[in-house]
Amino acid sequence: MALSRRSILKGLGWATAGLVVTAGGAYGVSRRLALPYRGAPTSADASAWLRLTPEGLIEIVMPRAELGQGIAVSFRQVVAEETGFPLERIRALLPRTDLLPPARATVGSDSVRDFAPLLASAAAALAAVLKRAGVVDGKAPPAGFDALAASPRLIDAAAIGKAVPVSLKPGAKWMVGTEPPTDAICAIVTGNEQLYADDVRLPGMVFGAVLRSPRLGATLSSVDDAKARTLPGYLGLHRLGEAVLVAAQSRSALERVLAALTSKWSGGLSDDANLGLAIDIDHGLSQGVLEHVRSDARFTETEAFDLDLRFEVPLAAHACMEPRTAVARFDEGGRLEVWTGTQDVTFVRAALAQHLGLSRDLVTVIGCRVGGGFGGKTLCNVELEAALLARALGCPVKVQWTRLDEFREAFHRPPSSHRIRARLASDGTLDCWHHAFRSGHVMFTSAAMGPVLQFATSFVGDPGVLRGAIPPYAVARSRVEFEDVRLPVHTGPWRGLGAGPNIWAVETAIDQLARLRNEDPIAFRKRLVAPQWPRLGRALDRVAALAGWPALRSSPTRGYGVACGVYKEMSYAAVVAEVTREGERMRVTRLWCAHDCGLMLNPGQVRAQVEGNLVWGIGMALHESLTLAEGTLAQTSFADYPLPRFSDVPEMTIELIDEGEAPTGAAETAIVAAAPAITNAIAAMTGRPVLELPWRPDRYSGCNAFQTRFLNP
Amino acid sequence: MRFVLNGGATAIPEDMAEDRLLWVLRDHFALNGPKYGCGIGACGACTIHLDGMAERACLLAAKDVEGRVVTTLEGLGSGAVGGLHPVQQAWIEAAVPQCGYCQNGQIMAAAALLNEDAAATPAEIAAVMDGVICRCGTQTRIAAAIGRAQRKMSAPT
Repeated sequence: MALSRRSILKGLGWATAGLVVTAGGAYGVSRRLALPYRGAPTSADASAWLRLTPEGLIEIVMPRAELGQGIAVSFRQVVAEETGFPLERIRALLPRTDLLPPARATVGSDSVRDFAPLLASAAAALAAVLKRAGVVDGKAPPAGFDALAASPRLIDAAAIGKAVPVSLKPGAKWMVGTEPPTDAICAIVTGNEQLYADDVRLPGMVFGAVLRSPRLGATLSSVDDAKARTLPGYLGLHRLGEAVLVAAQSRSALERVLAALTSKWSGGLSDDANLGLAIDIDHGLSQGVLEHVRSDARFTETEAFDLDLRFEVPLAAHACMEPRTAVARFDEGGRLEVWTGTQDVTFVRAALAQHLGLSRDLVTVIGCRVGGGFGGKTLCNVELEAALLARALGCPVKVQWTRLDEFREAFHRPPSSHRIRARLASDGTLDCWHHAFRSGHVMFTSAAMGPVLQFATSFVGDPGVLRGAIPPYAVARSRVEFEDVRLPVHTGPWRGLGAGPNIWAVETAIDQLARLRNEDPIAFRKRLVAPQWPRLGRALDRVAALAGWPALRSSPTRGYGVACGVYKEMSYAAVVAEVTREGERMRVTRLWCAHDCGLMLNPGQVRAQVEGNLVWGIGMALHESLTLAEGTLAQTSFADYPLPRFSDVPEMTIELIDEGEAPTGAAETAIVAAAPAITNAIAAMTGRPVLELPWRPDRYSGCNAFQTRFLNP
Repeated sequence: MRFVLNGGATAIPEDMAEDRLLWVLRDHFALNGPKYGCGIGACGACTIHLDGMAERACLLAAKDVEGRVVTTLEGLGSGAVGGLHPVQQAWIEAAVPQCGYCQNGQIMAAAALLNEDAAATPAEIAAVMDGVICRCGTQTRIAAAIGRAQRKMSAPT
């Protein structure tokens, strides 16, 4: 690799300074704009999901990424149920664009609800093909599996459309409903197989990183690599589009090089950037009606409310344990292969093709096991960085973000500010409900959209911000309105999207209303639950029984709180929390949860998702907050972004309700009830509602302490 | 620089003496067990055993292991029945992992503790396991798995 180097690059004149290596030529940008694929899966798609090998294994070309939610084993169980093949003869291949038809991102807890039924139909169709070919109980016909395996498509869309699967219907089953562990569990506990993108090692592979600005949005003025050039393994600076990348022969060399570079930056986010001001709900309301109105009762200036509370939710990080990582390799024919732990191989391929000026069929994205996603690994960034460097250097490149990159460069859960006002009728029903909130973007994020799309989407309310904001309670007159605010930090989907913050605010307000009426908070909710959510009422009943609710009594040192929620109008959770005061801090000491996602493919995996959601609820309620300082994120590591630790997680008692309803999703449901159950327990202990997340000993907020500054015209 | 890695004598090239041990293990020895999570010893994903003690490979230089015994997740079960340390067996039985990325650290931290004292108290367990972060929320299963491993390791063989 002959790389020309000079010492200093300045400003925009870099290309002429000659220091930037641009092997591979100009970076043409494809006219085909990369947008996330949103299509629902079809029978035609499903015909590509199942294959047979000559050894007689069924392979599932997974249309969903494995993020730890156990979708691979769950899908194998469905295929086993339909075909009669034993589980160990069914193998799940993680999503890869050379085998998988375009599939939408693995987000929104929709894999079981929207993909499993088609997979079951495809497997039923495959079972019919196998039966005709003489395969009995997974055993080969006299001619063996060779002819079947050689067939390019064993099943077609028509056969899938006509198939009658059995695995997702209530009734006795031999495989669906059992609890085999997550795929690759042996490899996870022994390290003896490649699983994650960082386990991919290619001959001649080198390592790259992006030069990062000390402030968000700053522009590089100059960089001096004189010192770096004296270091072994240095492979130069590369200006590639907007980014400046650095490469080295090894990760240790790369770290030394990064430390030896001196860069100057200009502009960027100012010291006084203030997210709280940007989303201030009272400021928004003082300007009149908010931009997006979803239920539009109007209240007069003279109306009095029983409750008027303001809520604050901070910016929060995904903090996946696996920092995003990609390996990219170009072959001699200009074909690009990228290995990455992503929630969306289809989008990553489209984005790579667009940014590299390649046709999509020249790009293959191979999905690896994802070391935590939570909505955060849905864009294309590290993949493009690796691919740009691989093209510039002519060798395979691995780029792995540092933990600092993850905190500073990734997108986060947006902060939001809420005001909820409510009035009870004399019979104790909800007469008026007004929830107004302002939030950074969730789906229409600047992390994924350029200025044109940002403008185009500004007329539509961000559905991710709205998620969960419509309360599941019967209200005579309701007004829900919101604004999505363009913030100077990247924000986007975080576990549960808007439902986490919105339902936290709703459930805190509902709890306060119950307290105002001196009514049991479970009985109060049960009485108010709207008729279309009978399963929510059932979940409340179950959690009350599970926790022995009637016998639980809060005291000044121990509080019991409850909350519930409906996620995406499909899944239900009710949580009871016990919180104990330990000196200056609060500790969650017990959690009970009733959870209803209908029929479960693998109750063990559902239970694990509920456990994870409860832990996220602890983090949301007591730990997590990102702040700005000096123009960037103040938190740089796990040392200053506290997450729930081993001893922060209490005993959990979970009831999984499965009484014949269709399967839905479990990955983001219990969090919506867990955080408010915890803060409601603190309120029961202290007598004061928690109005700001996370709870802190020094920040008690008084109930009804805020002036009502606006009223609708 | 000679040292013992997962039961076998081997050497690290002299020019890697100052390199982070984590990168040497992952990139030079192609080991998948120890993971990069934070690079400052705050998460535990890179935990290895150095002379039997749990250490963070991201905080060690390659030269630190000269003449010593390094065990990674890959070597933890060598010599055990079925090639799995009781902690690894317990991890499978309790179906601990979700994404799995942190589990190297959880297992290596728990195994070092229980190798030292299989009857470690809940407080001792918490003190060690609080240092290893899991974002998926597998803590209750980790606790259950450690209990299982303790029973396996204290049972008469």
